[in-house]
Amino acid sequence: MAEPRVIRDYLAALDIRLPADIVGELADGLDETYRHHLAAGLDQPSAARAALAEFGDADQIAAAFTRTAPARRAARALLGAGPVVGGCWAAALIAARAWTWPVPPLIPLMVAACLTIVIVLLVTAAFCDRYRTSRRAAGTALIGVVLVDVTLPGTLVVPGLLRGWLLLLAAGLSLARAVFAAGAWRRIHAA
Amino acid sequence: MKAEALKGHLDGMLLAALEDGPRHGYAVIEHLRTASGGQLDLPTGTIYPALHRLERAGLVSGSWSVTGGRRRRSYVLTDAGREALGGRRADWRAFAAVVSAVLEAEPWPNPA
Repeated sequence: MAEPRVIRDYLAALDIRLPADIVGELADGLDETYRHHLAAGLDQPSAARAALAEFGDADQIAAAFTRTAPARRAARALLGAGPVVGGCWAAALIAARAWTWPVPPLIPLMVAACLTIVIVLLVTAAFCDRYRTSRRAAGTALIGVVLVDVTLPGTLVVPGLLRGWLLLLAAGLSLARAVFAAGAWRRIHAA
Repeated sequence: MKAEALKGHLDGMLLAALEDGPRHGYAVIEHLRTASGGQLDLPTGTIYPALHRLERAGLVSGSWSVTGGRRRRSYVLTDAGREALGGRRADWRAFAAVVSAVLEAEPWPNPA
């Protein structure tokens, strides 16, 4: 059965906002709703309008999917864990008098820049109501989290700087966060 | 009945809609409509995100099939979902009993 133009336009609007599988499921439901109204005696334009009114606004539906999406949940979990891991690293680096280490000044600057970008991306993923934007931001941020959390402890191992329980705890938390981020990245791209 | 009044109860109702067997999204909506005597006024599009959320929580399981040449996603209650439904029913009965006891209590006698 050919769908009226308003339904095709509505599905096209959803297609811009949501992944194909979700749009396919919504299209099936919308088609059922439309047929239900046709069977109830409405003509095609009225049935289409009634089905769309019953279904709700495309932006609201997209926002509802975004709110429960794995990307947003992962971003919020990482934003929540950030102060704990960051605080542990700060305490460990202060206790180890890290400013006396023979590290080129460019490295801390690069780590800080990378962390800033990751935080901006995580905030975007956690609070943006656009599914695709949230997913892209989270995907990129998660790669950044893994890189930072593996590289930071890794750079301290070779020169023998990873000593003391606080630094080991910070490195352990970082590695645990990297494992979580890698798993979340896989879940986001499987969804 | 508006969606705001159902906050906190939608998940339980969706689980109940799947208790008798697998249903696709529209069939879930139809069940809610029929079971409520047409009283539930939910934007249909909001049911689908809720079903996806329940799936990620492991309470329902979704799978694709082809019906009449169209791909269709159906949902079935998992063991964890069945257990959660039992818990929600018990919570609802306790809640309804308390509210009913208060709302339907005899009025205080007039001191005059």
